[in-house]
Amino acid sequence: MRVGVLGIGKTPHKIQHDKSLRDLIVDAGRLAMDDAGVQPTDIQGYYLGNAGCTGFTFENSVALMGADHLGLTPAPAVRVEAACGTGAWALHLGVVAILSGLYDTVLVMGAEKMNDLATVEGTSIIAQAADSKEEYFSGLTFPSGVALTARKYMQVYGCTEEDLAHVSVKNHHYGARNPYAHLRFECTVEEVMRSAKVADPLKLYEVCPMTDAGSALVLCREEILRDQPDKPQVYVTATSMGSGTWYAASDTLDDAYDLLHKPAQKAYAMAGLTPDDMDVAEIYNSFAIQEPLGIESLGFAKQGDGWKGAADGSTWIDGKVGVNLSGGLLCKGHPLGATGTSQAVDVVEQLRGTAPKDIQRKDVEAGISACRGGPGAVAAIHIYQRLEG
Amino acid sequence: MTVSAIEFSRLGPPKLHLYAMRCTACKTLHPWWERYTCGVCRSRELVEERLAGTGELSNYTVVYYPPRDFLGQEPYVVGHITMDEGVLMPAPVVGVAPEDVEVGTRVKAVLRRMKLGHEGDIYYSQKFVVDPNPPKRTAGGRKAAAKK
Repeated sequence: MRVGVLGIGKTPHKIQHDKSLRDLIVDAGRLAMDDAGVQPTDIQGYYLGNAGCTGFTFENSVALMGADHLGLTPAPAVRVEAACGTGAWALHLGVVAILSGLYDTVLVMGAEKMNDLATVEGTSIIAQAADSKEEYFSGLTFPSGVALTARKYMQVYGCTEEDLAHVSVKNHHYGARNPYAHLRFECTVEEVMRSAKVADPLKLYEVCPMTDAGSALVLCREEILRDQPDKPQVYVTATSMGSGTWYAASDTLDDAYDLLHKPAQKAYAMAGLTPDDMDVAEIYNSFAIQEPLGIESLGFAKQGDGWKGAADGSTWIDGKVGVNLSGGLLCKGHPLGATGTSQAVDVVEQLRGTAPKDIQRKDVEAGISACRGGPGAVAAIHIYQRLEG
Repeated sequence: MTVSAIEFSRLGPPKLHLYAMRCTACKTLHPWWERYTCGVCRSRELVEERLAGTGELSNYTVVYYPPRDFLGQEPYVVGHITMDEGVLMPAPVVGVAPEDVEVGTRVKAVLRRMKLGHEGDIYYSQKFVVDPNPPKRTAGGRKAAAKK
């Protein structure tokens, strides 16, 4: 399969008190359409990933709002929600829409406005992505649910908190060099260890911030991009989704592995590629421990070894595969619905060679994005390739 | 789970005890009291099974940034409790300071006030305390139960 990436756009990732959700939607949409060289009237379908507008900004049908403000009407528009996998799901639906043959050109977007509320409210809204009746409102939060996974990972695979701290060090090294990142500072293992406890053993530098952002892609039939050879020839060549347990109680390390591993295997088969072919990877890491878990699931390291890459250099920019050269969610922040689309935009930038210069890997031909959501509930894998001629 | 006074009128007294759901086809025991399809064999026939309420703390975290309903309680301990019947349940562990929590401790469920709802309604649920009278460790006893 091949679906053309005609245009991309993203807003900065940060706390943006001067921007509303609709501002972020309009900004991201216009940037992507301008980059694609299309008019709003060229867009035949609009998929907006937004996870929490009913809580964060007390709005609901925000895709309809976006379609109106972006001038997309009468094109169909829908809001997509799948916990932290929301933006990646919007991308999946856009890709499938093009592949179906029904549409030639669609706009895929993720946007989230999280910082109109205090952290405690945001934490409560995010916790609604799990079972609020039985599990999470017994005092469990997403950070504490993942903290349990982190402790188990350390017990089973024999690594220490210091070992895991290297993941944050790597992400912050690149986040500091990404002008679009929310947190732009470097840190050392010692500073990670000293940062405030959030949910033991997770510390502040191992947790993503709440971020306001929007990002978008204009997708098109392969031929449309092929006929414009002056445009960067970047295509989505695999889309593969999955689901898993909605309960922290039954989210074992093996479940966490399978969640991304199974759809990743399908995606590699779909693209006719292997993990060795990947030059860059954007891997969901709202909490640092999720990066090694993702590295293992995507086949870049065997189960239990995923944490080593950040310490030995193999997941840095000149390593075997550059993982989260954007700074990952740890630095970009995690604008829930916009996270999946921002991963896609960042991989496309790497393929185009237009990433910020200090985080641009050389000669990138293939990249992968892996997003996940819920306690262990949503998986989304996309592969992107530069295919000239 | 948590249950308010209003929910109590719908769900009844059994919900004040810990329940899990047993698949009648493959016998897998699933955590929590609502499960409509067995995730292992996909059977739709599951029955409630009351848990003894005792188990072992197999993992834990200390929450420093609570959700709204738990503001003021932080830092508090949320444990993974491996119940003697074999299921794993996350739940608050109380009566022990965060720095004194130890994996492997025997714990038992107690009914406690969990939070106040938006209209002042009180929610109750199970929290766990250190079991003052843990059963003597007998070879195969608890292990056999966990294998069910």
